[in-house]
Amino acid sequence: MSVAARALIALMLVAPQAVAQDARLSARLDKPTLVAVNAIVDSARLAKLPTAPLVDKALEGAAKGSDGQNIVVAVRQLSMQMGSAKRVLGTSATPDEIKAAATALAAGVSERDLARLRSASGKRPMTMPLAVLTDLIVRDVPIATATGLVVQLARSGVKDPELALFQRNVRADIDRGADPSVAATTRARGLVLRSSGSGNKPSE
Amino acid sequence: MLLEAGSSDAVVVARVLRGDVEAFSELVERYRDRYARYAFHMLGNREDAEEALQDAFVRAYRSLARCEDPERFGAWLFRILVNRCRTLGARRGRRARTFVVDEVALLGAAEEHPAGTTAWREEIDRALQQLRGDQREAFLLKYVEELGYDEMSQLTGVGVSALKMRVMRACERLRELLSEVYDA
Amino acid sequence: MRDETEQDIERIARELRVPVAVGRALDARVMRAVRRLPRHARFGLWSRLITPRTVTVTPLVWGMLAAAVAMFAVLGAMHAGADLNRAAKPIARAFFPGPKNAASTSQRVQFVLVAPDAKKVAVVGDFNGWDASHAAYQAQHRGGGVWSVTAPVPLGHHRYSFVVDDSLWVADPTAPRVIDYDYGMPNSAIVVQEQK
Repeated sequence: MSVAARALIALMLVAPQAVAQDARLSARLDKPTLVAVNAIVDSARLAKLPTAPLVDKALEGAAKGSDGQNIVVAVRQLSMQMGSAKRVLGTSATPDEIKAAATALAAGVSERDLARLRSASGKRPMTMPLAVLTDLIVRDVPIATATGLVVQLARSGVKDPELALFQRNVRADIDRGADPSVAATTRARGLVLRSSGSGNKPSE
Repeated sequence: MLLEAGSSDAVVVARVLRGDVEAFSELVERYRDRYARYAFHMLGNREDAEEALQDAFVRAYRSLARCEDPERFGAWLFRILVNRCRTLGARRGRRARTFVVDEVALLGAAEEHPAGTTAWREEIDRALQQLRGDQREAFLLKYVEELGYDEMSQLTGVGVSALKMRVMRACERLRELLSEVYDA
Repeated sequence: MRDETEQDIERIARELRVPVAVGRALDARVMRAVRRLPRHARFGLWSRLITPRTVTVTPLVWGMLAAAVAMFAVLGAMHAGADLNRAAKPIARAFFPGPKNAASTSQRVQFVLVAPDAKKVAVVGDFNGWDASHAAYQAQHRGGGVWSVTAPVPLGHHRYSFVVDDSLWVADPTAPRVIDYDYGMPNSAIVVQEQK
């Protein structure tokens, strides 16, 4: 029996699963990678983790010309990080928070610090604080410093637009040659002072 | 992902072109010292030499996709360095010279030239800096980097006969400048 | 005399051939500088995926292929439920993944990149399936090397990047960054929130 015939039989056997999966993956991944990625996506779905980020991670890998093995590793890694994130943030965490938290974990934030930020944020969404925290770390603010600052800002009740401005200001300072740690600490101090003056409600 | 020890230049270049910027450090480490000597003698001091080297590496990274023969990345990088040294040399003109060389190498040379190596070496360096830039370049490529004239011509874009003339003039001038030291 | 000249020159050259060591601090400076530059990228896998190939198929295999297509169509309809239109749409959605409910769940976001030497700039990310050919996310050159596009982005957290000339991946210099060791190229993050 030819290779093509064997492949078709295999295809017919997996057809029900394949149809249920994201068609974009089928269009852009080779067969072995597709099978492996779909298996990870299915497991994530069963664990009630968001699956869209996993599909996006695979699509990103395809777009960037990564080999199949690397894509599978990346998707599996993200799935594990999202699992950890959900464990720490709790069942009420939104898909965006889980995704942003997974990104922060990838940057080196510990689960313990993630929990601190969860506690400091109270009922407020964590997506923006997590994105800002990740950015500070990528810009070479030491992880402990960055986490401490963002936790403090969250505790002070700083709102998302102010956090976004804080990130932009720190970036501009670093681009002008400031030490990342000093830039972040200085800007955070100013923001905390303004927040306490403006009556931002800190989290309980 | 760690590169295997001894990966060829082409392998490392391919990794960098696929987006692995950290792999470029392998090439930097490989060629940094090899080409420091040329930059140092061309420009006359360590600071300028390091600037030329740094500049050359960054330019090489930027244009890496245009490196036609990645197996000969070294030669391609050297051409960039030669050009950087020309530009920096023209811009800086004469500057205070500091001759700080590798001490271990210096100690090794001392055994070979018992007649006051540091002074002798300084004289050579001083004389070298007195040469016209194009003559110094040709002399270094021929006698220090030990390239053939065809290679030199490809590297510099200058014809072989012109290069031979520059080398000859450089040798005459160096002997003239160092004649007092010879006679001593 | 000539031999003497050559000997003199050789003496000089031997001195100059002594190695000149440069410290590893140079390596660090070079790497800091290149990390700030756009990373290189080559679409190895993608090129292989889109390169046409000749396939020889026997009549038996043609028959099995027809059966498989029929099975897909039936199973597709079953899994899509009562809405048979959804079964017909997966392929189209693969390449034009618009937001689910355009008006209330996405915002129009402007992306700007300064790239004077670029001939083409696209925005690629979680919000468009990392599809560099998506029409709505192709930037226009506004002059002076400034490229921009305003496009719909669903509410929420997204990773994205610019692709310059179909080959160079560039993180948005003005946006928060994310570490992405997976594919060796840094991405940016955007958090789109409902305007109140």
